[in-house]
Amino acid sequence: MQKRIVTMLTAMSLMLPAVAMAASGDALFLQSCGACHKKGGKAAIVNPADKAGSVWDKYFARGRHTVDMGMSDADLQAVVKYLVSHAADSDQPAAAVIPK
Amino acid sequence: MKKILLTAGALLAWTGCAVAGAGGATVSIPTEDYKAILQRLDTLQKRVDQMEKADSPSGKASSAAMPTKLAKDVENIFDTLDKVETKTLKDRINLGAELRTRVDSFKLKDDLSLGAVPGAVGTDHNDNYWTNRFRLNLDSEIQKNLLFTGRLAVYKNFSNLGNDAQNDASQAHVPGNSNVKLDRAYVDWIPEGMPIPLALTFGRHPSSEGPPSELKENRLRQSTYPSLLFDGEADGVVATVGLERYLGWKNSGIRFAYGKGYQDSGSTSYLDNGAHPYDDINVYAMFFETEIPGVRDSLMVLSALQATNINGMGITNAAGNSVGKNLGDMSLFGAHVQANNVVDSGFDLFLSTGINKTDPNGRTFIHPITGAPIGLLNDNGTSKHTGWSVYTGLRYNIPYKPWNNPKVGFEYNHGSEYWASFTWGPSELYNKLGTRGDAYDLYYIQPFNDNLFGRLGYTHINYDHGSMSQVFGEPGDSNAVLDNVYFLLDCRF
Repeated sequence: MQKRIVTMLTAMSLMLPAVAMAASGDALFLQSCGACHKKGGKAAIVNPADKAGSVWDKYFARGRHTVDMGMSDADLQAVVKYLVSHAADSDQPAAAVIPK
Repeated sequence: MKKILLTAGALLAWTGCAVAGAGGATVSIPTEDYKAILQRLDTLQKRVDQMEKADSPSGKASSAAMPTKLAKDVENIFDTLDKVETKTLKDRINLGAELRTRVDSFKLKDDLSLGAVPGAVGTDHNDNYWTNRFRLNLDSEIQKNLLFTGRLAVYKNFSNLGNDAQNDASQAHVPGNSNVKLDRAYVDWIPEGMPIPLALTFGRHPSSEGPPSELKENRLRQSTYPSLLFDGEADGVVATVGLERYLGWKNSGIRFAYGKGYQDSGSTSYLDNGAHPYDDINVYAMFFETEIPGVRDSLMVLSALQATNINGMGITNAAGNSVGKNLGDMSLFGAHVQANNVVDSGFDLFLSTGINKTDPNGRTFIHPITGAPIGLLNDNGTSKHTGWSVYTGLRYNIPYKPWNNPKVGFEYNHGSEYWASFTWGPSELYNKLGTRGDAYDLYYIQPFNDNLFGRLGYTHINYDHGSMSQVFGEPGDSNAVLDNVYFLLDCRF
């Protein structure tokens, strides 16, 4: 019985980071987008509050990010969700996640 | 480049056709001509190559040069659109403003409320009584089916803090209170997926300056309720059911409204009513409205409303304590019809009628000044009364463009001895539509441009019964007369 509980807890502890990673749009944004969109980076600094939520949606729907971000569809969706939830017209606009 | 190639191709095709047409299926031309054509083609090819080279910024001939430039232009346009759209979406509330400066010259004579002692009459007059009214209008389409409208207002006498003589020349420049008057603030919610067309309006309602006030005010309709019955600010909830799809009558619908004329909001009201001996004044109302079938740009409104437990808490003694009591209920019924630009004549016409019926509860209180018993339109607490009023008028739109199509209007209303309605918030200095007697109103509107107009008007009122339009006490006879000449400038943007 004890062994089973330990096994279950171990399995759950292994799953938790995966769940957290999948849901963490802000971390993905910092990791993936922030790799280039940073001070002195390959691309201009970008933050969620640079655009309104619906504008972010349309930006990715139109395929305007021409550089391959190397993200899965699920990760990209998480990033877009994060951008929209902290967009310029949201309740919590984030203007300096990536420092300017 | 394409043009040149097409020209060359067309030339060749034309030449071939000409030869084929002349000699049948086999084409035969002289060797010199054949060589000349080949040479010409070669020359054209060289010219095309040179032009492509010149067009390419890198100096290399590239067929992808134009698409790349186009793509950059499109990207620039998208970036610009992003900025504009983001800015627009951040501007959640649209702002508008109105400023009105008005001067009245009035004389109210032989009025019982102005007498030096109870029972005597008195006179009040002012040659030039100036006021300023500023309104900040707000609106927002929060979502497609969720709309917000608001209005903040300041309406004041020139230089005075209120109705007293205290100068207010430093009100906006020294620390003071933070009072802002909320004229209206409401949300219209149109739920999706409902089996019937339904809209819910909640907040502080658009219940002032209703039809036909917009004619005199030189603007679009401002309120749901005909102004003869209700003209004032009101907090409440309204459900509107659209009936156009069922009746086939344009803009038809029925509204059910609930609001309060008074609410016990004392600090101990949640415990009991001991310290606040007044019941709430609840207001229930129902309005049916439609465009009159067959009459373009028209309106008909049938109204019924009831106010319960009307109280006289606004009447106070010398110490400032309220002496009023709950006196009973009053019901109002009305019919309003209006048509604009009738048969393209330039005339706007309206007719509004109202009936009020009281249902007193047997209670009275003693007026602190006159010492008379006060009931609901009675002195004994029990007499039930019915009053009525009729309100009619017209406006003519003068088709004279050099003067920006000015307008001239005339209104008349008559109220019976026991006429009473809820018109506490009129645009005038006086409650014209509460008159128990005859009121005549003549005005001229001169637009100066799309945002500014002036109005010159004259009002004459003969009061037959009680000039104050109150519901407290027997109205009694009156010989009071009001004359008022006014001019106003109104700027909206």
